[in-house]
Amino acid sequence: MVTMAVPTRTSEADDGRGSSRRPMYEGSTQYRHWRYSIQQLRDLRASLNKAAVSVIRNAFEVDLTGSSAGVSFLTPDEELLLVKLYIGKVGQLCGHFRFPEEVEATAISYLKRFYLKNTVMDWHPKNVMLTTLFLATKTTNNPISLESYTTHIPKTTPSDVLDLEFLVAQSLNFEFKIWHAHRALWGIYLDIQNLPDISLEKLQETYQIAVKHVRTSRLTDAELVYTPSQVALAAFSMASPDFAAAWAQSKGAESILSIVKDIEEMISRDGAGPDVERVRDVDRRLRLCKNPEKVVGSKAYLAKKAEQETKEKEKRAKKAGETKRAMESGDPFGEELDSQNGRDGSSLDEDDDD
Amino acid sequence: MSRPTSNWLRGSIVRKSVLPSSAQSTRSSTPALGLNGANVSTIGSSTPLPASSSTFTGVSAGGGVKDPTNKISEFSSQEDQCPVCKSDRYLNPRLRLLVSACYHKMCESCIDRLFTLGPAPCPICNRTLRKLAFMPQTFEDLTVEKEVAVRRRLARDFNKRREDFPDLKSYNDYLEEVEDITFNLINDIDVPQSEERILKFRRENAALIEANIQRDESYASSLRQQEEAERRAREERARVLALEEEEQRRTKEMDKMELIDVLENSAEDVDAKKLVAAAARRQREKEREKRAAAQQAEAANALSARAQRSRTAAQSAIPDAPHVPIQDDWYAYEDKYALRAGGYFDPASEAVRRDREGIMRAGGYMVEEAWERALRCAVAGLDIAPLTSSAVSTSDPIPLPTNGDVIMASV
Repeated sequence: MVTMAVPTRTSEADDGRGSSRRPMYEGSTQYRHWRYSIQQLRDLRASLNKAAVSVIRNAFEVDLTGSSAGVSFLTPDEELLLVKLYIGKVGQLCGHFRFPEEVEATAISYLKRFYLKNTVMDWHPKNVMLTTLFLATKTTNNPISLESYTTHIPKTTPSDVLDLEFLVAQSLNFEFKIWHAHRALWGIYLDIQNLPDISLEKLQETYQIAVKHVRTSRLTDAELVYTPSQVALAAFSMASPDFAAAWAQSKGAESILSIVKDIEEMISRDGAGPDVERVRDVDRRLRLCKNPEKVVGSKAYLAKKAEQETKEKEKRAKKAGETKRAMESGDPFGEELDSQNGRDGSSLDEDDDD
Repeated sequence: MSRPTSNWLRGSIVRKSVLPSSAQSTRSSTPALGLNGANVSTIGSSTPLPASSSTFTGVSAGGGVKDPTNKISEFSSQEDQCPVCKSDRYLNPRLRLLVSACYHKMCESCIDRLFTLGPAPCPICNRTLRKLAFMPQTFEDLTVEKEVAVRRRLARDFNKRREDFPDLKSYNDYLEEVEDITFNLINDIDVPQSEERILKFRRENAALIEANIQRDESYASSLRQQEEAERRAREERARVLALEEEEQRRTKEMDKMELIDVLENSAEDVDAKKLVAAAARRQREKEREKRAAAQQAEAANALSARAQRSRTAAQSAIPDAPHVPIQDDWYAYEDKYALRAGGYFDPASEAVRRDREGIMRAGGYMVEEAWERALRCAVAGLDIAPLTSSAVSTSDPIPLPTNGDVIMASV
């Protein structure tokens, strides 16, 4: 795989492990599929935004020619702003439901990952946020019934949550396991007690502050760029640079302190919640530039539906024809799979969903 | 009329062992051969079968079902009525219906009346019948009776086994053929052709059939011998036990007599109580010795039984495949952290650790494992530098949909 060749370790000399053994974290989907550079994130969001804008513009034209001229579409940064607002909402909801921190962190990660595959203009983050939180309760083994979930959230029906569930899971590539920074922070807090001359009261105080910083870091892209242990160490370093430096030294990882500095900077720069007035403005504009194909009842929506239906009808007709041919040729179960593969292997993968 | 309160009055199935006298009496009136009716009538002039001589003694009433253990009972019910003379249980409490070779029921008196002077036509279907070919009814349903008879007859000739065939296909073909013939005979379809097929099979496989019969017989006789040996061993054990008990009783008696003798003849100054106590002590000692001996014998028995069991187990046991532990090449950062033996100062897990009744740990939760996981998480990937390249494709092997929308079946 391509990703395996990419990592350039800062400290390759000090690890005494055998070359054949792969570190566990590097086997995780988080490392393999959800790790980006800052530049990559920016490019990815820009290209998603661009693609969505062109699709929506076309859809507007289908609805009414020339109607897309006056629409001001959202920029990638504005999209991100909206997502950030709903990341904050996840925390509020978790406080309301008294969910453990793991649920909150998982839901937020899902939300961020979802908007690396989709755009706000297609799927409004309000519903996506509800779905990711509900999905996170299930994947982290803190289940709650759908009824009690939706009845405690105003103006929400079960279908709001469930309609998007499969889409969200699919966008996440069904990779639900997340390595969390808050767990790493707990590990650091425990391990630091092994260092000599540690005042427990001071450590406890530092830990409480660091936990807050980890929570702040969830508003940023830190988890998509850095490993959870690095984010945790950065949070710890923000609370007490001395402790963090001492611990890093004990682990022989002083060299990552420069990375930690970057993360700290990122957290303090992006960690603030979005400005409410700006978000309100973005939301107002979003109502105008939403993908009409996703708005039930519009012409574009109907056109898309019709297109899908003709496609499906064609597929069904093709399948029926094949079955009929097979029946006529004698073997009702068709020929050997190999020969069919050779004839039209391209159509095989589309046949499994009906 | 005085009615004996026998089982058959209640319409239940009568066991032959319950009514030995009636079985005896009926045998004299309708002497039945071990050969059942189907054999006699359908095979006709074929060679006599080897089983014929032995079954005569085996079945007490020349039964439809060959049963040397006498466990299968003859069928009879309260509603029995002879279809020929219309007499029923009310008129004749000793009514016994027998089944002809054409599977029609008749009472014994009708059989006597019609067939004493030699073969005569069946009053129901006009087929020629003989007196000897009537058999007692075992099953309530006569089609079952017929099927059992046909199957038993065919099993005598068609006794090939899986080992006699080169492959499964030919064995299945053979079974198919047997089933085919059986079905035809039971339902009276193409009877002459089926008989022809049976004869042909017998001609072709005479030697093999004979060999299989002998094999079956030797197996049965070995089973019989084993049973006999077991029975003998049981009897022997019971005899030894009885002997021992008798011996014990006698010694007890003798001890008692002895004690009385001593008491009678002892001098004045000896305390009678002491004498009795001494005797009781001796008695107890003896008993203890005996018990120890019995225990030893039992232990030896158990040992030999266990040895036998293990021998048979060794014969039937299939050796396990050697155990291969899970082998992966994941590195879990073991050298990067060490779990502190004395535990940690950790208010977050305070409740779990103080939980004396173990309610929180009931599911197998161990705070040490949670700690270890956190520690591992704290050092995992600590030295991985962030990506710096700007090409999206290198870090994202999942192809992105071109229109920014995940393809979905329906929303």
